[in-house]
Amino acid sequence: MPDTGARDEDLVRRFLSGDRAAFAALVERHERRVYNLALRMTGREEDARDATQDAFLTVLRKLSSFRGEAAFTTWLHRVAVNACYDLLRKRQRQPLLERGGDEDRPAAEPPPVPDHADASDLSIDVQRALLEVPQDFRVVMILHDVRDLPQDEVAQILGVPVGTVKSRLHRGRIALARAMGVPRSGERADPASPSEGTMTP
Amino acid sequence: MTHPEELLADYVDGTLDDEQRAVVDAHLPGCETCRDEIELARGAVAALASLEDEPVPFGVTGPVLAEAGRRFERRRVLVWERLQWAAGLAAAAALVLVVALNIGNGSDREDAASLGSSTAADGQVEAPEGGAAETALAFAFQGLEVQDDVNYVADGISSLATDAAEVISGRAPAETGGDQRYTPADEALACIEQSGAPTVDDPRDTLMRLIEAEYEGTPAYIAVYAESPGAGQPADTVVVWAVAKSGCQILTTASLRV
Repeated sequence: MPDTGARDEDLVRRFLSGDRAAFAALVERHERRVYNLALRMTGREEDARDATQDAFLTVLRKLSSFRGEAAFTTWLHRVAVNACYDLLRKRQRQPLLERGGDEDRPAAEPPPVPDHADASDLSIDVQRALLEVPQDFRVVMILHDVRDLPQDEVAQILGVPVGTVKSRLHRGRIALARAMGVPRSGERADPASPSEGTMTP
Repeated sequence: MTHPEELLADYVDGTLDDEQRAVVDAHLPGCETCRDEIELARGAVAALASLEDEPVPFGVTGPVLAEAGRRFERRRVLVWERLQWAAGLAAAAALVLVVALNIGNGSDREDAASLGSSTAADGQVEAPEGGAAETALAFAFQGLEVQDDVNYVADGISSLATDAAEVISGRAPAETGGDQRYTPADEALACIEQSGAPTVDDPRDTLMRLIEAEYEGTPAYIAVYAESPGAGQPADTVVVWAVAKSGCQILTTASLRV
């Protein structure tokens, strides 16, 4: 079913009243954003496929509980983010043999998107660095800086205060820049440095 | 030193109001830490802007749509059973009415009985789906294509969809091969319909090809549909379903916009 231009909420209503094509239209309309969110979060096409499928299966199961308090896209993003977290958690529980590295590092995550040969070197570097940023910072950057969602919507998606989003955003950006190899100017000795702390909401 | 950390992200984004920006501007000359971090953050924002969307690989949401199809089919069956139950109840009520009338005056037996059966029948009638006119297509389904020793995998399913899209768009002829022989498809059609795939009566979906082969080593029927948005509009999507010959469960499904 092509994108008819109907509002998401109307498609949801039609789906709940038995219109199968309405669900297909929702999937078609949003699969790109869900897939790319998952790709940036997981760094691997295979994982992004799995997370996308998991997210839409959750949508299928839980759409009847969607009450419309938030926009459908906000709800969908929340489902997609949770699918990514679940997948990353499962991967961290994989046998050590498959992890190949230091247990404490999020580097248990695999090399990023090697199958996109046409991507620029820069974007591959960014993606690789992104995976070195803690997940809670990473997701905020992906939603705000990559997906262009406003901070209050990111807060709604993640269920955290806007102030937490601002804080994670700033810390995440610093972590990303450092992971990309930007030299630590001054190697801060200031113990009250705003971005040296551990991540807390 | 206290840093205005809660303002720095918005400072980098340029979304602070004048008063807040003045706070940061006043802080920066004396704070190398914050100056450096703003510089780093700006670099990160620019780097993230270089990440472009990747296209969604073919077939990613196919299993989801297949599951949606199964759920709809289950729900349809459930509704059907409820309607039958309601219809039975209506028939029983009508029978009681007939008996009561007969006890009363012994007349109008046939009329009352026919009223009862009519009520029951009405309860079982399914509402027509959409009512859209069937799209006239030049690539009508001709029969079951038996492809011995052919084992489809994801790429093969993708090729079937691509080929069908070429036909729908008129960029390729409808023939699937001059020496193609077709065999009766009743059993395969029944299996496809049992799986929850569109039926041959579905006004939106036109069956283009039905293939008997293997899918990832499992004997399967593979159905290729041209899907229209309805209301007589031309098909704009190819949908491929692979269904196990044994048990008729869906093995995969994929769609491709024309």
